[in-house]
Amino acid sequence: MAEIQKVAVIGESNIKRVAVIGSGVMGAGIAAHVANAGIPVVLLDIVPEGAANRNVIAEGAVAKLLKADPAAFMSKKAAKLVTTGNTEDNLDLLADCDWIVEAVIERLDIKQALYKKIDANRKKGSAVSSNTSTIPLAKLVEGQSDDFAKDFCITHFFNPPRYMRLLELVAGDKSRKDMLADLTRFCDYKLGKSVVPCKDRPGFIANRLGTLWIKAAVVEAFEQGVGVEEADAVMGKSFGFPKTGVFGLMDLVGLDLMPHVEASMVSLLPKADLYHSIAKDTPLLRKMIEDGYTGRKGKGGFYRLNREGGGKVKETISLKTGAYRPQVKADLEILKETKGDLKALLSSQDLAGRYAWKVMSRTLIYAATLAGEVSDDIASIDEAMRLGYAWTFGPFELIDKIGAAWFAEQAAKDGLEVPKFLKDTGDKTFYRIENGKREYLGLDQKYHTLARPEGVVMLADIKLTSQPLLKNGSAAVWDIGDGVACFEFTSKMNALDPDILGLIGKAVGLVAKQFKALVIYNEGSNFSAGANLGLAAFAANIAQWDLLEQMVSGGQDAYRALKYAPFPVVSAPSGLALGGGCEILLHSDAVQAHAESYIGLVECGVGLVPGWGGCKEMLNRWSTLGRLPKGPMPAVGKAFEIISTATVAKSAAEAKEYLFLRPTDGVTMNRYRLLADAKAKALELAQNYTPPEPPEYVLPGPSGTAGLEIVVDSFHRRGLATKHDVVVSGALARVLTGGEKADPTKKLSETDVLALERKEFMQLLKNPSTLARIETVLETGKPLRN
Amino acid sequence: MPAYTAPLRDMRFVLYELHKGDAVAALPGFEEMTRDLVEPVLEEAAKLASEVLQPLNASGDLEGCHFENGVVRTPKGFKEAYETFKEGGWTGIACDPAYGGQGLPTSVNMLVEEMMSSANLSFGMYPGLTHGAYKAIHAHGTEELKAIYLPKMVDGTWGGTMNLTEPHCGTDLGLMRTKAVPQEDGSYKITGTKIFISSGEHDLTENIIHLVLAKIPDGPKGIKGISLFVVPKFLVKEDGSLGARNGAACGAIEHKMGIKASSTCVMNFDEAKGWLIGEEHKGMRAMFTMMNAARQGVAVQGLGVAEAAYQGAVAYAKERLQGRSLSGAKYPDKPADPLIVHPDIRRMLLTMRANIEGARALGAWVSQALDFQTNSPDAQARQDAEDLVAILTPVLKAHFTDIGFETANLGVQIFGGHGYIRDHGMEQLVRDARITQIYEGANGIQALDLVGRKMPAHAGRLLRQFFHPVSEFIAAHQNDEQLGPFVQNLAKSFGRLQQATLHIARVGMGKPDEAGAASYDYLKLFGLVATAFMWARMVQVALPLAGTAEDHDGFYKAKIGTARFFFDRMLPESGARLSAILAGGKSMMEFEDSAF
Repeated sequence: MAEIQKVAVIGESNIKRVAVIGSGVMGAGIAAHVANAGIPVVLLDIVPEGAANRNVIAEGAVAKLLKADPAAFMSKKAAKLVTTGNTEDNLDLLADCDWIVEAVIERLDIKQALYKKIDANRKKGSAVSSNTSTIPLAKLVEGQSDDFAKDFCITHFFNPPRYMRLLELVAGDKSRKDMLADLTRFCDYKLGKSVVPCKDRPGFIANRLGTLWIKAAVVEAFEQGVGVEEADAVMGKSFGFPKTGVFGLMDLVGLDLMPHVEASMVSLLPKADLYHSIAKDTPLLRKMIEDGYTGRKGKGGFYRLNREGGGKVKETISLKTGAYRPQVKADLEILKETKGDLKALLSSQDLAGRYAWKVMSRTLIYAATLAGEVSDDIASIDEAMRLGYAWTFGPFELIDKIGAAWFAEQAAKDGLEVPKFLKDTGDKTFYRIENGKREYLGLDQKYHTLARPEGVVMLADIKLTSQPLLKNGSAAVWDIGDGVACFEFTSKMNALDPDILGLIGKAVGLVAKQFKALVIYNEGSNFSAGANLGLAAFAANIAQWDLLEQMVSGGQDAYRALKYAPFPVVSAPSGLALGGGCEILLHSDAVQAHAESYIGLVECGVGLVPGWGGCKEMLNRWSTLGRLPKGPMPAVGKAFEIISTATVAKSAAEAKEYLFLRPTDGVTMNRYRLLADAKAKALELAQNYTPPEPPEYVLPGPSGTAGLEIVVDSFHRRGLATKHDVVVSGALARVLTGGEKADPTKKLSETDVLALERKEFMQLLKNPSTLARIETVLETGKPLRN
Repeated sequence: MPAYTAPLRDMRFVLYELHKGDAVAALPGFEEMTRDLVEPVLEEAAKLASEVLQPLNASGDLEGCHFENGVVRTPKGFKEAYETFKEGGWTGIACDPAYGGQGLPTSVNMLVEEMMSSANLSFGMYPGLTHGAYKAIHAHGTEELKAIYLPKMVDGTWGGTMNLTEPHCGTDLGLMRTKAVPQEDGSYKITGTKIFISSGEHDLTENIIHLVLAKIPDGPKGIKGISLFVVPKFLVKEDGSLGARNGAACGAIEHKMGIKASSTCVMNFDEAKGWLIGEEHKGMRAMFTMMNAARQGVAVQGLGVAEAAYQGAVAYAKERLQGRSLSGAKYPDKPADPLIVHPDIRRMLLTMRANIEGARALGAWVSQALDFQTNSPDAQARQDAEDLVAILTPVLKAHFTDIGFETANLGVQIFGGHGYIRDHGMEQLVRDARITQIYEGANGIQALDLVGRKMPAHAGRLLRQFFHPVSEFIAAHQNDEQLGPFVQNLAKSFGRLQQATLHIARVGMGKPDEAGAASYDYLKLFGLVATAFMWARMVQVALPLAGTAEDHDGFYKAKIGTARFFFDRMLPESGARLSAILAGGKSMMEFEDSAF
């Protein structure tokens, strides 16, 4: 199957219209995500008996999608691309579709019958795929036409389809290579998925291993008498698993899902499979499901919020008694002691260590048996677990951390059958870096280059083979080829600090001399959540006002240097781009944003106003691009509304609605392709580049300030704005309206507005209520409404 | 033995002219603590200190405590002095009126404690420990326990102790072995050995109420598994009378460098009956709530000893005729000039004085904050006060006790050979002062507490209560005509403190050894700058009054003179401390262990 990847996947896909049949959680989510890509999509479901509205199920699904949290649609516009219908009256709509996704109930007879209908209505050569997670492809195509089998494959999405980046692709013997390539192209570029080819085996890759991991974690917790919180603490951050742990994860996905998955695994897997020896019955689980404790969607799960008597008590179920008791934070010394040393943790003889060993030994041994079984390359297995189960490290990466030889030896001692592949690996590692190239260990025990999909440029790869052009403790500048330099944040959480600002200044000088363009980009999970608030709060607490003032003006200077540099600057965010992170985007010539970018000026939330040019840029954008009524006030009002409420756009598409992004800014669906797209954009702009002219501002002055204050006061009176909100909004209003001396007949310069930002920012930073907000955010991650 | 006269004039100054003594009296619970009530209390305390306690200081030191057959006898006169102390109601002055106390604000009580410490540090240990135990029971005990123990501890009939240290664990209490086994009646059986227990056994009170830290079996490991218990020497019957002897006995007393009249005991607990105070395993948390006040108490001990040494040294420097002034005879009618004409003697005396008065002012600021922390009706004011107390307590404890020892040492120096022999009592002050740098958290631990816990807490919030007032004061007064030059000096040292703070916060985050290496210099820098702030504020108060009719005793003029010495001659140390901090810890950490 690996050859799918070798098929050229670069370029436009032929898929221009899609149909999804089955509007359950997965089908509807897939349809929404196709719409997110700007592709029209038909969503069909059955007609319920006696229904007046024959489309009621599909329509209801779209209504639900619009309310989903996290949102399924990236913008309201996307929702308009979904056409709903039913499978009795609207199969004719399939004739226009290039790809038909089946996501109906997991029953072979129903699916097979549906395929006949699809085959009769679809256009010739269109791709058909199933989102099944339990039924083998070979069974699905039984009795179908030869053409159907050629055009058919399995595309297994993960829930929720918008956010989970894994797509498992299973091809049948007859599946057309060009169809697979085109589908891969579409899912990669348009849907932003990492397409991992799998063999036609039960559970494919991620669920096959993930299910065993969950089952082992649950069963061993019962057997060894480990509490739910402790089990989740062990199966959490230490191994790079999501912090929910296994029990928390089950609460999230629903406990009732498990018996279905288990039953299908048990029925499909060969007798000798390790799964059978792990999958012991857990009566408490059965009882919980029967009693409606199915997790967060039900009355609660392993954890619940007990609201009896009007209170809110966090409780946890006791695995021993089945009764709920108050939740206790697991405080396991061993996790602190071993601190990421997995070998030490797994060797520890205390309860947590023994539990960790029992679960992880089985999980990782199983992973090793799956090499060759579900996929021929371990890199695919690791990728599937990273993207499908949100593991930070795939199973083979974990074994590398533990040491393959030691692990195999211990597993054998524990009576586990060590698969040949692992035995043969011996002292070797599964991954290595050789001559600046990443390599993985093949089933042949030889190392092979770990190739990225075509056209993908990753900074991580560039860093393996080169030295930074500039570097300090918080940032680095890299040569990414073709005359383009890349500015990377490297500080903790990519927080912006004086070091970063300093390096921006240096980078501008360097790029001006030696490069055509600059891309601001990094491969952290967030572009930047803003300035280093801890540093700012600390400096404020020790009254280091000069230093803080320097930080504010230093940021303004650095960002203006980017804006007016003699070369184009393209920022490429993914994840959070907040506060100072957002202001960088606002000062860039263009932005190439990952679709999953969450952009906003959130300073007011922590009791501040944007101080690095965010106010002036938003004013300028809304007055030039805003399509607003004439006069100085509408743009001021719009910027005020967006900034004072600390609005964060929940996608790149939404960011355009707020003008955090310009209509001309680019959006990349696939995270892996972001840098390549940004670089291309930068090179395009570099032809005949001239820096922008500084804007001039016509601002309303005190009358405008008063107008905004009236609005805020009424919010305050209605309890919608707190006491300190009024103070902060007042400061913001003074900045956006040009301050006391502004008057609509006089033009203000950019530096005038920047001076106002600085003044109000510094004033607020001295306010104890602002410092209390910052402290609360730093310590709890939650806003303080004071 | 040097005579001791309580520095009431200066105490009134810090309490009411410099700080907000009247505002403390406006707090709920302190309504009666107006100036006209506080004044006689201070005067009576002064009398008690110089007339009853001070005369026993040298003899107590010479005689020490006696230990025979598990019984400790205090030196001659202590029992009678304690009776006088008790009868005067001094054991309960700062206690809750609900249990018979007089409810004096901490800020006033600290001044009383200073006087006791100047007069007789050893004696002060007995009621001091009782007060510590009282506070723990008062803060964390059940109503039942409070009713049994507190009234008699308040009226001084019973004493109290704090049992933390064990032979193998002092600073690191997580290693503790003393165990407490739960009994069916809700009590615990406590077994183990505690050492260095001040007032563990003595003949001053009818009963001794031991507070003991111990581990309940199968609890969390280390420091998180420690619980606090009350263990009386004699079990108390239901009617309040004393019953059987409990299994808590003194095994030996220590032979110490100083505070010899204070009994320091090895305490053996053999299935002694005890009752839990607070929650199981939360003993350390209970201790922490009292730690700030206890550490300030030790800081005041340092200050008290310093004052005693200064008074002795001044008297001697004025009397003792020796040599002639370098610039020609100042007292030609006498065979020689008194010591006080010599620059180096004046350097020593002014160093002592500037440290003492600065510390008294600083201590009073923080102890008033303790009063606001406990009694202010405004939640924000309570929090702000608590923050100030938290950040400055380690500074006070270490800096003041260092001052105590150094001042006592200078006192000996001024006396020359006569300071080194016992007759004048100056060497006793050195020996007595030495322990204050060690107990209640060694001074190095205070520095770590400051840098490792207090500084980074809440993104530096605790620091704000010190840094913002200083910054505002500087901004407001740096250009004042007369005050300005003092404030500019303060500003320079304050800048150094800011620089050091940010430096440590940045470097220390990733490299704890660097923070540790900087910690003591930082604490001293902090102490200097905090004292400088006090001095600048004292000058601010004194300037309009100096030389006026109000200044008939020259008090304000002397204040300004002392301030001048402090700013000119002592504050420059802040530069050296900053340099040391910025130099980093490499030179000590890279030195091979084997080369020592």
